[in-house]
Amino acid sequence: MDSSLISTFLADGFLAPKYLGWLLDGWLMTLWASLLVVLASTLLGMAFAAARESGRAPLAHAAGVYVALFRNTPLLVQLFFWYFGVPALLPEGVLAWLNGTHALAVGSTELLRWPSFEFLSAIVGLVAYSTAYVGEDIRSGLRGVPASQRIAATALGFTPLQALRYVVLPQALRIAMPPLLGQYMNILKNTSLGMAIGLMELSYRARQAEAETWKTFQVYGVATLLYIVAIAALEVLAHGLQRRNARRSR
Amino acid sequence: MKKLTLLTLVFGLVGLVPLAHADRLADIKKAGVLRVAAFDANPPFGFVDAKSKKIVGLDVDYADALAKKLGVKLEIVPTNPANRIPLLSAGKVDLVFANFTITEERAKVVNFSIPYFASGTQFIAKKGTLTSPEQLSGLRIGVDKGTTNEIQLREQFPKATLVAYDDTPFAFTALRNGNVQAISQDGPKLIGLLANVPDRDKYEIPPFAISQDYIGVGAPKGETALTELVNTTLRELEADGRAQKIYDAWFGPTTKTPLKRIFKIGDKT
Amino acid sequence: MDFSFLQDDLTYLLWGTFPEGPPGGALLTLLLSAGSGLASALLGLAFGVLLVMLRGPALAALTTALGFLRAIPVLMLIFWTYFLLPILFGVDVPGVLSVMAALALVGGAYLGHGVAAGIRGVGAGQWQAGLALGFTRWGALRHLVLPQALRMMLPSFINQWVTLIKDSSLAYIVGVPELSFLATQVNARVMVHPAEIFLFIGAIYFVFCGGLDLLVYLLNRRPRRA
Repeated sequence: MDSSLISTFLADGFLAPKYLGWLLDGWLMTLWASLLVVLASTLLGMAFAAARESGRAPLAHAAGVYVALFRNTPLLVQLFFWYFGVPALLPEGVLAWLNGTHALAVGSTELLRWPSFEFLSAIVGLVAYSTAYVGEDIRSGLRGVPASQRIAATALGFTPLQALRYVVLPQALRIAMPPLLGQYMNILKNTSLGMAIGLMELSYRARQAEAETWKTFQVYGVATLLYIVAIAALEVLAHGLQRRNARRSR
Repeated sequence: MKKLTLLTLVFGLVGLVPLAHADRLADIKKAGVLRVAAFDANPPFGFVDAKSKKIVGLDVDYADALAKKLGVKLEIVPTNPANRIPLLSAGKVDLVFANFTITEERAKVVNFSIPYFASGTQFIAKKGTLTSPEQLSGLRIGVDKGTTNEIQLREQFPKATLVAYDDTPFAFTALRNGNVQAISQDGPKLIGLLANVPDRDKYEIPPFAISQDYIGVGAPKGETALTELVNTTLRELEADGRAQKIYDAWFGPTTKTPLKRIFKIGDKT
Repeated sequence: MDFSFLQDDLTYLLWGTFPEGPPGGALLTLLLSAGSGLASALLGLAFGVLLVMLRGPALAALTTALGFLRAIPVLMLIFWTYFLLPILFGVDVPGVLSVMAALALVGGAYLGHGVAAGIRGVGAGQWQAGLALGFTRWGALRHLVLPQALRMMLPSFINQWVTLIKDSSLAYIVGVPELSFLATQVNARVMVHPAEIFLFIGAIYFVFCGGLDLLVYLLNRRPRRA
């Protein structure tokens, strides 16, 4: 044990505002990336669940293979593949375009800017991975809706698509909500792996701040706390939703 | 907030406990093993040999000479740049021999030996894209997390976009892929990297450096006896010509990475 | 696609420098995940039983502790166990063990809630029958409830194992020479074939995790046939 390190800690006090700012920036990036991944993987997950339950063998099989591949390999390896591997396989022109700057602007105000390749591949990797989980949870939700619901809706004159959209899917999502919220928490935590491919999220910023301040405890303490706050907020949200659902189904 | 109070409590407790401070040098002799953190992916300083799968390199040779002097076994722990200080602070290694730049900031948390190597922050870019430091401001530059290169760039070229990776080869892959336009590291390390790249003619190391740095051995903070022993050993190695031999083995004229030796141990203390 | 790196590095990726050196690569990944899998099963069992049996503040404390473990990214937890705890408490745990401890804690925290749900799922009838037969509360748990609950829970234990194998890849960040770490080493030397290298180790992970996945599938099918 190194006593001088501890005394350094006690003497140096807390992090300078600059580094707290870095950590907060990282936290916002973590939240932003998580939100995008949650939205995209939920939308794709629905399409995915529909494919698996479509009754069309090739489609259902393809979806099954996808789930097996993406759930049975580590996210870290997948992210390495997307960021370091895929560009080596892409044609030169595509790569240059992806790395370039493109902006959607009206006059001189920039509305949307093309994100960095780090951000792009982290989001793609996380969405590809998360969809395999979110999709399966939505599918279990779909299976939890009794077949009679669909039949009744069709009898009432709904087309199959309308029956899915207005009758089956809302119920399926309600059933799937608890496991889905668990997945959303996993997504938030999984964004931390983005640090390995240069995504400037909370863990990346923590390492950066640590390398400049050497205040290991303070930096990782604050970062850990920020993760806990984010997860706790999701947890509160989950409780609220569950209570509302319970009231509705009564 | 509960977590915070818990942490403060833990820190408080640790602060109060009187620490039995052992002498690391004595511990090493007792254990018969010297644990050294070295790079595993940065030729010629420290890298996994293709055939033997052992970590070898200039830093490892220095560590080996020290272990021999102590009469103990050498155990190499692979590290990337960002893990060097945590490995020391956590007591996972006794010394760091990993192209470790001496800085005042770092000296607050680790002991440094006298320098045994000199270098400076340089760059690799595709041929013809980088000719002067002024261009750096407009570039996306790949760096390694936890290096002085990153900090120097941020201070001197605040407009440059920095992307930090876990180790230099990752940064180089990003350069190949066009995600960054240049990567930054200590010059000799870059020479070592480029020498091992199959299509090395596409890249170049522009002939300018943005800093002048000295490389030392890192020891745990406050371990004076151990640090002193490292210093004495380094001086001996220079005096009896072994330092030159180690240098020539990795940077000599017949190696993959010929580089003139401009710094001798003892030139700067 | 160029997989020629396998000529030099196949055995290195599979078992490191074993048997001259310590086990590494895929072998270490297996050892790491087997060790933490076993530990997390035991921890999960203990947490689950305690969640059911504890009352009042002790229960609140355990729930909070498990909540923390599940709220922190595994990557952060590995940092804590590998670097920060040794600095704090002056204990030197070998790298492999500290990563194992981190993974076991997370796995245990997740399994704990599952085990508790499984115990509750066995039903009040069984508990009452046990108590009527003269068992104590712990006796009924040990001899009647737990065996039934565990049989139902076997698939989720194996699923957790799949997660552990995948999470063991995070040990790369502290330099524990498991499969992913060795892959980054090989990538650093070969330099020009990152796609092939990561595809190859992805395939190894797939064999491990997919195998366990298949086992879960078979286990889930068996009771239905019976």
